[in-house]
Amino acid sequence: MLANGKGAIRIEHVDKVYDAAGAPVQAISDCSLDIRAGEICMIVGPSGCGKTTLLNAVAGFHDITGGSIWLDDEMLCGPGKPQAQPGPDRVVVFQNGALFPWKTNLENVAFGPVVQGRMSKAAAREKARELMAMAGLSGTENSYPGEISSGVRRRVEIVRALMNDPKVLLLDEPFRALDSLTKSVMHEALLEIYYKNKVTIFFITHDLEEAIFLGQRVAIMTTRPCKPKKVLDVDIPHPRDYSVLTSRRFRELMEETVHAVHEEAVKAFEAGEKEM
Amino acid sequence: MDLIVQSLAGESVREHVIALLRSTAPFAALSDKLLGRIAVIATLERVPRGEVIYQVGDPAKDLYVVASGQVRHALGPGAQATVLVKVVGRGDVIGWAALLKDRSRRLAKTTALEESELLKIRGDQLMEVLGDDPVAAQEVLERCAKMIIEDFTVPAWLAQVQVLPTGKAAAGTRAGGASNIRGLALFMHRISKWLQGPTPYLMVVGFALFFGAWYLLSEVFHLWRFASIPGPHQVLIEWLNPNPVYGLSVYSSEYYIHIWSSIRRILIGFTIATAVGVPVGLFLGWSRTFREYVFPVFETLRPIPVLAWVPLAIVMFKSGAETPVIFLATLASFYATALNTMLGVESIDEAYPRAAACLGASKWQIFRHVVIPGALPYIFTGLQISVGVAWFSLVAAEMVSGEYGLGYVINTSYVNVRYPTIVIGMITLGIVGYVTSALVRMAGDYMMQWRVRELALGGRE
Repeated sequence: MLANGKGAIRIEHVDKVYDAAGAPVQAISDCSLDIRAGEICMIVGPSGCGKTTLLNAVAGFHDITGGSIWLDDEMLCGPGKPQAQPGPDRVVVFQNGALFPWKTNLENVAFGPVVQGRMSKAAAREKARELMAMAGLSGTENSYPGEISSGVRRRVEIVRALMNDPKVLLLDEPFRALDSLTKSVMHEALLEIYYKNKVTIFFITHDLEEAIFLGQRVAIMTTRPCKPKKVLDVDIPHPRDYSVLTSRRFRELMEETVHAVHEEAVKAFEAGEKEM
Repeated sequence: MDLIVQSLAGESVREHVIALLRSTAPFAALSDKLLGRIAVIATLERVPRGEVIYQVGDPAKDLYVVASGQVRHALGPGAQATVLVKVVGRGDVIGWAALLKDRSRRLAKTTALEESELLKIRGDQLMEVLGDDPVAAQEVLERCAKMIIEDFTVPAWLAQVQVLPTGKAAAGTRAGGASNIRGLALFMHRISKWLQGPTPYLMVVGFALFFGAWYLLSEVFHLWRFASIPGPHQVLIEWLNPNPVYGLSVYSSEYYIHIWSSIRRILIGFTIATAVGVPVGLFLGWSRTFREYVFPVFETLRPIPVLAWVPLAIVMFKSGAETPVIFLATLASFYATALNTMLGVESIDEAYPRAAACLGASKWQIFRHVVIPGALPYIFTGLQISVGVAWFSLVAAEMVSGEYGLGYVINTSYVNVRYPTIVIGMITLGIVGYVTSALVRMAGDYMMQWRVRELALGGRE
């Protein structure tokens, strides 16, 4: 099923210290994590634990202060190169969505190849139309993102990312703002896309159920500073569908991990209280 | 009407219903799964020849798909349509009013011309089923809308306006889709909506109260401070007088020379201010270095009232009265535009430039595809303010130095004790100022279709 995936990400002893207001904050400390090519790796942690910081470092939105991050054999950032260069091999799908509201859905999807100079505008639109049709988005091409529902918007955004044939999809709680029904539809849609593309997926969430349902591995992070506390192998075979949620194995895995997650949530909450 | 079968009864009926739905324009593109669900809420009915299916004014609950036979569809009085009467047959859909929340009455009378079979679908149940699949729902509703637009309620000339290709924007859009109403048709639609609401009537009442109070205070009671103020009646008489007592009315060519000189100054000033202010604002927001050089100077000069510049402006531009006045209007307008543009760039969500960088855009491409369009809403807010302050400082400047213009009219009329002419100048300023600001707003709407459509959906307009 999961033959030759696309890109492996190796995170080695990464540190990130913010020093914004003169008071250094250690967001990530000695974080190491291997994400295998073509797997769905879920990163679970309480809000504000530093998991988005980790994703931003991989994407190249800010620097790291120690360690290194590799994509296959290429060092994205590390000694001598504190910040990775953002690029279409690692496309991010953002928490609140980042389709450009001033471009139609079709223009949004076609954007990547056009600005990279890889395709002519016409060719990119042609391909965008095809991909959108495959994702069941025909009919929304000429609408603006503000005219379609948030679930459909998220699908368009994922298709926009896939247009670039990325090695890794970086998903930053992409379904957080959706209602639970739309969310479950989106999960199945994401898996369907994944089965077709075998793209490596780095998926951040604070929802354990979502993590176990989607992921082959689930990394539970400690609260600030962020590093893996426990990495869980989800031995439920893919392809999966919603019947998995009621299976015994799923419940067992939930029980195995819910305690660890809760512990970190309590720590995060207490830390938050102190900061207040 | 005979009820033939409840559709749940048998698999073959279900297949029949699905096939029938698939043959109709609105439902053709739906998945089998969804059609199956629609089949469950549909009932097949037989209608004898001559029977009326529904009348004008009946409550519209159900949508009908003609399965066999012929049905006459005649629009009722008041419907504006290209064709008032038509005959529909197998695969046609009638009774779409059932899909509209606020149009719950039938607009037409439908009669079976021969024994016919109709598939009857409850409108609200259909909307519920479609609600589970937004993409499909949009498709169905757009196709319905297309049918409706083609058939009726839109006068022919209006329907044509909608499908006129308007360059790039229309090239990619499907003709006649519901979301593609734009241009004149959109404008007419807004006007008709506006007339239906209470706004226009409240507006009339507001004006009536204002003029009434003014009239009573100045012309009837001659109250205290208002005793020497010209009343609305007096101003109107003078304004429309072919032989104006004080020399200025709509009949005097001088009146238009004054208006035109002011407009010309605004046009030049506003254009220069926009051409300089927008780029300066964009770079202020975009480049930290540029901002560190320029912004402190900018913020020191900005609070200086434009009137304080009058002497220097006259010293700087000795040649004639024209340039200093334009300079002052430009200056005031520039600050508003540049500042708002800068705020516009700052308002752009960080995720947009990041997303563009991820997708491989260079710095310049991000500027062009993200920063400029992202700042546009603020830029146009800035331009609205800037055209306002341009008028403000223009009039002030014209009152101090100038040979023509509305500010000049007001000032000289005061000096020469021609009070009604002062008011004529003021009202004219109000009207011209309103028109220029409306033009800026329209330009903004034209350039930000995405925003117009978003706001229209949110019902905030």
